[in-house]
Amino acid sequence: MTRSDATACLTRRLRDYAVVVSLGHPAYDLYVAGDRAENFYTWGSMGLTSSIALGLAMARPDRRVVAVDGDGSLLMNLGTLATIGSCRPPNLLIVVWDNQAYGTTGGQPTATARGADLAGAAAAMGLESMTTRTADEFDRALDQVEARRRTTAIVVKVDESAPQGRPPLDCVFIKQRFMAALGVPEGGTQGQTNTVNEPPSP
Amino acid sequence: MSDPPITPITQNSDSCSAVPPPWAPPVCAGLAASAIGHVVYVPDNPLSHLLAGLSRDYPHIRQTPATREEEAVGIASGLYLGGVRPAVLMQSSGLGNCANAIGSLLVAYQIPVVFVMSVRGDPGEWNCAQVPMGRAVHPILDSLGVPHASVDRPEEAESIVRAICETAFSARVPAACLLPRRLTAGE
Repeated sequence: MTRSDATACLTRRLRDYAVVVSLGHPAYDLYVAGDRAENFYTWGSMGLTSSIALGLAMARPDRRVVAVDGDGSLLMNLGTLATIGSCRPPNLLIVVWDNQAYGTTGGQPTATARGADLAGAAAAMGLESMTTRTADEFDRALDQVEARRRTTAIVVKVDESAPQGRPPLDCVFIKQRFMAALGVPEGGTQGQTNTVNEPPSP
Repeated sequence: MSDPPITPITQNSDSCSAVPPPWAPPVCAGLAASAIGHVVYVPDNPLSHLLAGLSRDYPHIRQTPATREEEAVGIASGLYLGGVRPAVLMQSSGLGNCANAIGSLLVAYQIPVVFVMSVRGDPGEWNCAQVPMGRAVHPILDSLGVPHASVDRPEEAESIVRAICETAFSARVPAACLLPRRLTAGE
């Protein structure tokens, strides 16, 4: 299964999920598989995808949140699994595309190419976790997540594939569209202050 | 001058159980008045007074410890995207651990996160390893375009925190409130 196949498989299941996606190829593939306002595409801050998703899941227990991370990215911030494991918001799903390589930067091998086990790391930190290798397995894992509603990490072994497009490069547009879709719009127009939980007027 | 004696590891909880230092309650009050809803932190001794004060006086403000400052910036960003005003509490040395996250996430996406940083490496520092990064704190904040203000006296603490929060959430920029050693020393 290529990463773009796996992304298409995930996208068919997203429905009301808010998605935070890792920069580079995972973001490009998600955009091609189906752009939606509820996708937060990162263009930098490598490693922070699952951390951003954790914050979002804690802020919005009413929404299901999925982080679409990569093996190289998650390895850059492995400590966040410990934080996620101690917070355990039940509405948070971590999906890790594990192609065992830094796909966006030329395919250099990551530690998972030499046996590092990200699902094992997630389990050790208190998350439900599993590794899937086929589209069927991935689909069944997603069924399980929907049934059980526990903080879960699914590591999906994928082959690298060339992305066929890129999301918008306007970071503020991505953010404002995302927040509006989640029902917490920023002011949006010049002169208006931010509406996020403003303190009451004196 | 000789190094301070090595303090036992229980110093933290001991120092928190007593009367809080005069600067701590107004910093907490400033965060609460600015509708901060969630604090993400990497601990430091002076910050322990803020964490204790927030727990005691503003228990509605949630607290989450992060493993690293960069991670804290990520979590805080997610909180903001979900409609909660976030603050990150950390030692200034952690600024080096999160510079890229401030630039490529907070500044690029205009995500306001309020930082409260206990400063190391500034005048009064005894640990030579803290001094080089201490010199870099202001230049890093300035070069990333992060507005910042230092609390020099307890009487101005609440108004400075409120002003930093106002700038952050109105202008949608990360902004930092610095707690220098001359304010926090002796704890």
